[in-house]
Amino acid sequence: MGKYLSIAGISIKNSLVYRASVTGRVVFYFVFIFVFFSLWSMIYSGNEIAGYSLVQMIWYVCMTELVVFCSGSEIFGRMNHEVKSGEIAYRLLRPWNYIFMQFADMLGSMAFSASVFTVMAVLLGFVFAGPIQGFNPASVPLIVISFVLSITMNFFICMSLGLLAFYFEENSPFYFIYQKLLFVFGMLLPIEFLPIWTQGILRYLPFSLITWGPARMVVNFSYEYAFEIIPMQAAWCVFSVLLAMFVFSRGVRKVNVHGG
Amino acid sequence: MFTEVKTHLKLILKYFTFNLSALTEYRTSFLVQVFGMALNNASFAFFWWVLFDRLGTGIGGYGFTDVMFLWAVASTGFGLSHVFFANANRISGMIITGELDTYLLQPKNPLINSISARMSVTAWGDVIYGIVLMALIKASGMMWVMFGISIFTAALLITSIAVAGHSLTFYFGNMEAVGRTLWEFTITFSIYPETIFKGPVKALIMTAVPIGFITHVPLRLVRNFSWGTLLLLFGVTLAYALFAFILYMKGLRKYESGNLIVTRM
Amino acid sequence: MAAIVLENLSKTYRVKVRGEGLKNAIKSLVRPDYREVEAVRNISFSVNEGEMLAFIGPNGAGKSTTIKMLTGILHPTGGSMNVLGYNPVKDRRRLSYNIGAVFGQKSQLSFHLPPVDSFRLLSSVYEIEKSAYESRLKRLADLLELNEFLDTPVRKLSLGQRVRCEFAASLLHAPKILFLDEPTIGLDVVVKHRIRDLIIKLNKEENTTVFLTSHDAGDVENLCRRAIVIDHGTVALDMPVKKLKYDYLNKKVVSLKLNESAGIPEPPGVELIKKTPYAVKFSVDTRIAPISKILAMLDAGNIADITIEEPPMEDIIEAIYMGKREGG
Repeated sequence: MGKYLSIAGISIKNSLVYRASVTGRVVFYFVFIFVFFSLWSMIYSGNEIAGYSLVQMIWYVCMTELVVFCSGSEIFGRMNHEVKSGEIAYRLLRPWNYIFMQFADMLGSMAFSASVFTVMAVLLGFVFAGPIQGFNPASVPLIVISFVLSITMNFFICMSLGLLAFYFEENSPFYFIYQKLLFVFGMLLPIEFLPIWTQGILRYLPFSLITWGPARMVVNFSYEYAFEIIPMQAAWCVFSVLLAMFVFSRGVRKVNVHGG
Repeated sequence: MFTEVKTHLKLILKYFTFNLSALTEYRTSFLVQVFGMALNNASFAFFWWVLFDRLGTGIGGYGFTDVMFLWAVASTGFGLSHVFFANANRISGMIITGELDTYLLQPKNPLINSISARMSVTAWGDVIYGIVLMALIKASGMMWVMFGISIFTAALLITSIAVAGHSLTFYFGNMEAVGRTLWEFTITFSIYPETIFKGPVKALIMTAVPIGFITHVPLRLVRNFSWGTLLLLFGVTLAYALFAFILYMKGLRKYESGNLIVTRM
Repeated sequence: MAAIVLENLSKTYRVKVRGEGLKNAIKSLVRPDYREVEAVRNISFSVNEGEMLAFIGPNGAGKSTTIKMLTGILHPTGGSMNVLGYNPVKDRRRLSYNIGAVFGQKSQLSFHLPPVDSFRLLSSVYEIEKSAYESRLKRLADLLELNEFLDTPVRKLSLGQRVRCEFAASLLHAPKILFLDEPTIGLDVVVKHRIRDLIIKLNKEENTTVFLTSHDAGDVENLCRRAIVIDHGTVALDMPVKKLKYDYLNKKVVSLKLNESAGIPEPPGVELIKKTPYAVKFSVDTRIAPISKILAMLDAGNIADITIEEPPMEDIIEAIYMGKREGG
C-alpha cells in the first residue's frame, strides 16, 4: 500500500507543474457550463421540463461535467501509448501491480485538479443557478461516495479500453463509442428526457450510472434513490476492475508471444 | 507574392496526396476511425433531437434543421481543417520538442510547411458526416450553396484560431493547453444557436476570436442573404488568417528549438 | 574561399527555474522565475569551402546551438554569421536550398511509408526537377546501397538502413554544405565506415563542405583535418586534427600476449597498467618514447599477439580541459 501512496504523492507534485493544463481545463469547464447556462436559460421560462427546474438543470450539468473533468480519462491515451510503444514491458519489471499503480498515479494527479473543479462546480452552481431548494447537507457523504464510485469505474473502463491496444491496431473507436454513450445517456441530458422504456434499462448501465447517477443525487436527493444507485455503482466498479485485470493479464501474455 | 502563394498551394496539395497515399496503407483503421468520428457527431444530433422533441418548440428562434446546419458546417469545416492542416493543433508541441527544426531546414514557409505535413484520419469522418447530415435534413438549395461556401471559410478560420492560440507558445512558453482549449471553445461555440449568447460573449465571438463567423454568420446568410454579409464573411476570414500568420512569424524569431527546459536548482 | 564565417556569435536562452519541493512547485505556478543561460558566447571562426571540420566538445557545450544558428533554425542574440554569402537569419529559405543536415535523432522520413515516397515529397519541397531528381536518387542509392529497401516502409528498416536513408534525404538537393550532428551515433562499425566513405566521396567529388559534430574519435580522425573544440560556449581550441592527436593523443595503450612469462623494459614514458604471467598491458607516452623505439626493445620472438590502441575521444576532450584548467 505504501508504494502506491508514494506514487500518488509524486503525481500530486507533478500535476502542480502543469499549471497551464489545469488552468486551461478550468477555463474550459467554465465555458462549458456557461454555454449550457445560456442554452437552458433560453429554453426555460419558469416551467419544469422532465421533472427538472432551471436551477436543478444547471446544477445537473455542473455535476456531470465535474465527473467528466475529474475522471482521468487520459488513462485511455496513456495505456494506448504504453502498449503500442512497448513501454509497458519496462513497467512490468517493477515490483507493483501495474493496474493499481496506474490508479494510484491517477488519484495523485487528480487530487489537485479535482479539488479545484469541485470548488468551481459548486461556485458556478451558486453563481449561475443559486441554491438548490430542499438540499439536505446530511446527504453529502452519500453523494461523495457516489462520485468516488463514478470516477473509479470510469477510470477502469477507460483503462480496459486503452489496453485493448494489445488486441487491436485501432482501439480508439471503442473509446469514442464509450465516450458518446456517456454523453448521450446522462451527461448533457438527464435520462428522464428520454423515452420511459429506455430509462428502465439505462439506470442499470454504467454510462448513466457514471454521470446521471451522482448528479441526480445532488439535484434531487432521496434515500431510496441513493440506496438503489450506490450498490449498482459499486457492483459496476468491481466489474470494471476485474475487466481491466483480465484484459491486462491476457494482453501481457500476447506481448511475450510477439516478443519472441 | 503571387508565385509565393502558388508555390505554397502546390506544397499543400503535394502533402495532401502524399498523406492520402499513407492512409491507404492502413485502410481498415482509416475506415474504423472515420466511422468513430461520424458516430461521435451523431450523438450530438441525438441530443438535439431528444431536446427539440421534448420541448416541442424552437429554441431562440432556431429549429432542429437550423441547428443541424450549424453542425454540418462545423463538422465539415473542422474536418477539412484537419485533413489539410492537422498539425495546426500540434504547433505548441512542435515548438517545445524542437520538431519544427526539420521544417526550418527546408526552403518553404515553416508555418505552411509544418501544419500541412500531417493529415488527421478521423477528420475524414467529420467531412463526410457534415455532408451526410445535410442530405438527411433535406437541406434547401440555399443551405447547400451556403454550405459549399462556408465549409472553406470555416476551415480557414478554425485553422487560423488554432495557429493564433498555439503561436503564444513562442511568446510565453508552453501554451499547448491554451491552444487546445481555444480550439475546443471554437468547436463548442460554433455548434450552439447564436441567440443563446448575449452581451460581451457575443461581442467576443464576433470580433477578437471570430468563432461566430464559422457557422453563425453562414446560417444568417441562409435565412436572410445579403452580399454585404457575404463580403464581411470573406473579409473577416482572410483578415484573421493574416493575423494568425503574422503572429506566428513574429513569434518564430523567439524560437528556441527544444531548449525550453525547466531546470531544477 | 570561406563557406562559413562567424563573428562574435552569441546565443542566450531564457530558462524557467524551479526549486525543489511542493512549496516551490506552487510558487512557480504563480510566478515563475527565469534565468539567462549563455549557450554560445562570442565565438568566431571560419570554414573554407570544401573543408571538413570537426566541431567537438562535451554535451551542452553549445555545439547544437551553433549548428542551429548556422542553419537558420535559431536566431542569435549577438554577433554575425555568413553562410555561403547568406545571412541565415534573413535568407533562411534561400540558404536552405544550399545546405543539408543530418541531426542524429531527428527524422525527415515518414515512418509508415517507404523512403522513396519521402524522397519524392522532399523533391517537391526543394522543387527539384523530375529528371534531376531521378538521376540524383539513382546516384545516392548506388552510393549508399539503398536499392534493396527503397520500397520498404521505414518502420521495417534497421537503424543503419534508416540512417543511410536520412543521408540520402539530406543530399537529394545536392547541398554545398552538409551539417552533421552526431550522424553515426548508435551505428555498428560497418555502417559507420560506409557513412564515412560516403562523406569522403561527396567531399572529393562535389567539394561539399562538411561541418561535423561527433563523439566518435574515429569520425573526427578519419574525416577531418581541422578540429574546433568548444566548451562552455566558447572556442577552447582550433587546430589541425594531426596536432590535436600529437598534443592530446600522445598516449598509446599496448597489450601483449606472451609465449613465455617475461617482464618488459620500462624506460621513461612507459607505464605498466596490468601484468599477468602471459599478458602485459602498458601505456606509452609517444612524446617521450616513440612507439617504434619501444617495440624494438621487446623480444619479438616471445610475442604471441600485440594490439596498439588509441584512447577514446572522451578521454582526449577531458585531457584538453584538464590541461586548460591547469594552465589557466
